[in-house]
Amino acid sequence: MSIRFQLLLVALATLVLPWAGCQYARELETALRVAQENALLASADTIARALSAQPARVFPSADDQAFKSAQGDLYVFPLHGEPLLDGYRDDWDIPADLAPLASSDRLTARLQAGMTERYLFLYIEVDSDHFTPQPGNVHPATDRFDRVDLHVLRPDGTTAAYFFATNAPGLIGAQSVISGADGVQHTASEPRIQAFWLQNSQGYHLEARLPLSLVGPRLWVQATDGRSGARAGFTPTEAPTGGRLFLTTPDLGDLLATFIRAGTRATVIDSNSLKLGAAGELHPRDLGETAESGHSWYRRFMAVDTSRWPIAASLPGRLEGKSVSTALAGEPHAEWLRTGSQELLLSAAAPVVVEGRVRGAVVLEQAGDQLLDLRDRALRRLFNFTLWAIGVVVIFLFGFATWISVRIGRLRSAADSAVGNDGSIRLSMPESGSADEIGALARGFERLLARLNEHSQYLRTLGGKLSHELRTPLTIVRSSLDNLESEGLREDQRKYVTRARDGATRLQSILSALGAAARVEESIKQAERVSFDLRDLLATAVGAYRDGFPEARFELEVPPEACFMRGAPELIIQMLDKLIENAVDFCPKGGLIGASLSRSSDHYEIAVANDGAPIPQAMLGRLFESLIEQRQGHDDKPHFGLGLYIVRLVAEFHGGRALAANLSQGGAVFTVMLPLI
Amino acid sequence: MKKLIAIVEDEPALRDNYAAALGRQGYQVKTYANRRLAMQSFVSHLPDLAIIDISLEDEAEGGFDLCRELRALSAELPIIFLTARDSELDAVSGLRLGADDFLTKDVSLPHLAARVAALFRRIDALRRPENSAEIVRRGALCIDAEKMQVTWNGAPVTLSLTEFWIVHALARNPGHVKNRQQLMDAANVVLDDNTITSHIKRVRRKFQQIDAGFDAIQTVYGMGYRWVE
Repeated sequence: MSIRFQLLLVALATLVLPWAGCQYARELETALRVAQENALLASADTIARALSAQPARVFPSADDQAFKSAQGDLYVFPLHGEPLLDGYRDDWDIPADLAPLASSDRLTARLQAGMTERYLFLYIEVDSDHFTPQPGNVHPATDRFDRVDLHVLRPDGTTAAYFFATNAPGLIGAQSVISGADGVQHTASEPRIQAFWLQNSQGYHLEARLPLSLVGPRLWVQATDGRSGARAGFTPTEAPTGGRLFLTTPDLGDLLATFIRAGTRATVIDSNSLKLGAAGELHPRDLGETAESGHSWYRRFMAVDTSRWPIAASLPGRLEGKSVSTALAGEPHAEWLRTGSQELLLSAAAPVVVEGRVRGAVVLEQAGDQLLDLRDRALRRLFNFTLWAIGVVVIFLFGFATWISVRIGRLRSAADSAVGNDGSIRLSMPESGSADEIGALARGFERLLARLNEHSQYLRTLGGKLSHELRTPLTIVRSSLDNLESEGLREDQRKYVTRARDGATRLQSILSALGAAARVEESIKQAERVSFDLRDLLATAVGAYRDGFPEARFELEVPPEACFMRGAPELIIQMLDKLIENAVDFCPKGGLIGASLSRSSDHYEIAVANDGAPIPQAMLGRLFESLIEQRQGHDDKPHFGLGLYIVRLVAEFHGGRALAANLSQGGAVFTVMLPLI
Repeated sequence: MKKLIAIVEDEPALRDNYAAALGRQGYQVKTYANRRLAMQSFVSHLPDLAIIDISLEDEAEGGFDLCRELRALSAELPIIFLTARDSELDAVSGLRLGADDFLTKDVSLPHLAARVAALFRRIDALRRPENSAEIVRRGALCIDAEKMQVTWNGAPVTLSLTEFWIVHALARNPGHVKNRQQLMDAANVVLDDNTITSHIKRVRRKFQQIDAGFDAIQTVYGMGYRWVE
């Protein structure tokens, strides 16, 4: 992987910035939430204390017994407008919360009560597959027909019984049973209590209206099916302690409204969690700009996990939840709830304590959306900033990495080409002036190259030195042998002397080969330049090689015209000798050696090709160095890798250069370029 | 009377070997390890032939100095440089200082003895009247093998012993190509190709000093040299 992409990956580490930002935003949100809880709880507590100071206004009835729907206790919703008596409760401005009427038989009936300033409204649904009308001349005690009985404990303590029944659905009045003088019970109409009987496919609805003046603290409702006689509901005889009406406290809403501010809903409940009064709206006004930020995509990643929060119960008549139950147990408590949508609700409840008893609680509710908005705004800014920052960092790092890799690339290509194909070493490196590590690396390369150069210089002269230093001891050996022979040896002794002489002779030829380069350098110093015909020289030389190397075939290719140049022909001949010897060594027996001379605009090119094995790639650039040996010689002549070095020396003397290359069709070619002048 | 040969050589083993070989040939040999000892002796009594190494003990060019001093003492004393140094420059310097021959230590003892004998023969021949039987004439060239003298158009060409033998080998069979090995054999010397080349070059130059148009020695590239008339 290139440095550029490595750094790009490193740049990805900056993604930790938005992550940290999110963590911070979360912390922020948590802190805000706690603060909101505390504030709301404090408000709730304040309101609760204020209310406990005036218990009469909050709890007008001294009765704080438990609400028992099993005994027919009934919660009366406050109605703000007076509904039409039409058998439908659609115009009641409260949610439907019909309480089932308890029934030992299989009669299903439901009941809801509402109250305006003057009337108590009852809405009763009875499931009945058969309508049994009231007979014309009715005997209420004995006749069977569909009826709804209503017992009312009047404010004066007496109990009145009414029933609703009809032979034709529509607006009806309540009837009361009167015992006639004859002892027979008759019905009498009670026009102050009116109802609308609506028949439908499931049964009938009854919407009834009673003046509050007729209604006391208790009211029992019982529905009776005319055909089966099944009943649902209660009568005073069945449930003498039941049938209580739980009313909301009048004007409590107004009182509460003075305590709260917009966006908060305050509810006062009694000890049965039934609402006594409420004020305020959760979403009084849209906060304008908050709407569009509602579904920021990053909220998905960042939001505090609310999935385990309880869902806010939505009951029209009562409040539920942990905060409510805790407050009713005497402790203020706040909790976060989810409403059905993804909106959050904070509910804080504080007990209202009157004379040491918890009579109810104040529950304040506030939408959590404001918090979300706050957080979202902070997050969005954070995201925008960090995205910008990341972009800038990535671009900067990428540019920086490109710069670095360009510099390293420059250094690398310089290092690759530091040792030329002709073995020359370039000592200077790019970037070596820089003060940083790359500059240090370049300087390191330079030092390395300088030492390599020293080393190759040393190798260049090593042969000559060795040959020189070994010559004297060798001469001692040879002259001693000469003397020994002259002393007159026995035949068996002579054998050993002959062997020693052979060895010395071989040693001498080795030394001579070792010193060859030094001598060529010497003769280059002495060389004189003359003008001569290179074509002629090449032709005669190749003629001589044909005789000299009968095991190889020679091909010669020269231009038709004479090729004059100034130079030292004997050096050129030595160079050719080395090139041809080298080619012969490379060639298999009977191999083809192609020598050619060609002329280009500014130089002559002498090429000697052989069809032997290719040169290993790593060797190509080093062949022309001193003491570099690339072949396994198949003769017993000593090889020190000086031949091609001599070629290079001669080529350089003429201002030219020597190159080696492999041929695509096999074999290798050694080329010497000599400038025309 | 035995000829006295002085060997100035700092390598004792080599010195003794040379002395033994030459002694066997019937020469009287005196050996010296350095220039000072040699000069001390030479001042009082000159040898008939001096064989000198170039580097003598701590003097890298002591042999050259010795040669110069010897030449000052005697213009005719034959001097042979016998050295491990085979550079062209050393050979040229040595011959320029008036040495009669320049041999590398590759030379074998029999070769050395032959050289010494040849030098003495030349000196002796120079002192005797001309013997036409030993004279080779090739156009302007005249070689007296006895005296080892060469003239071109009657003018003497001062050749070293090696050079003489090279010219002799070439001129004896004009037109025949002599390769380097053959020339080395003729000169009784072990040289490498390069040295032959430089010898030929020097020979040409010596002839050209007398006759600028001299081109009788022709290079046959890749093979050797021949004498053309």
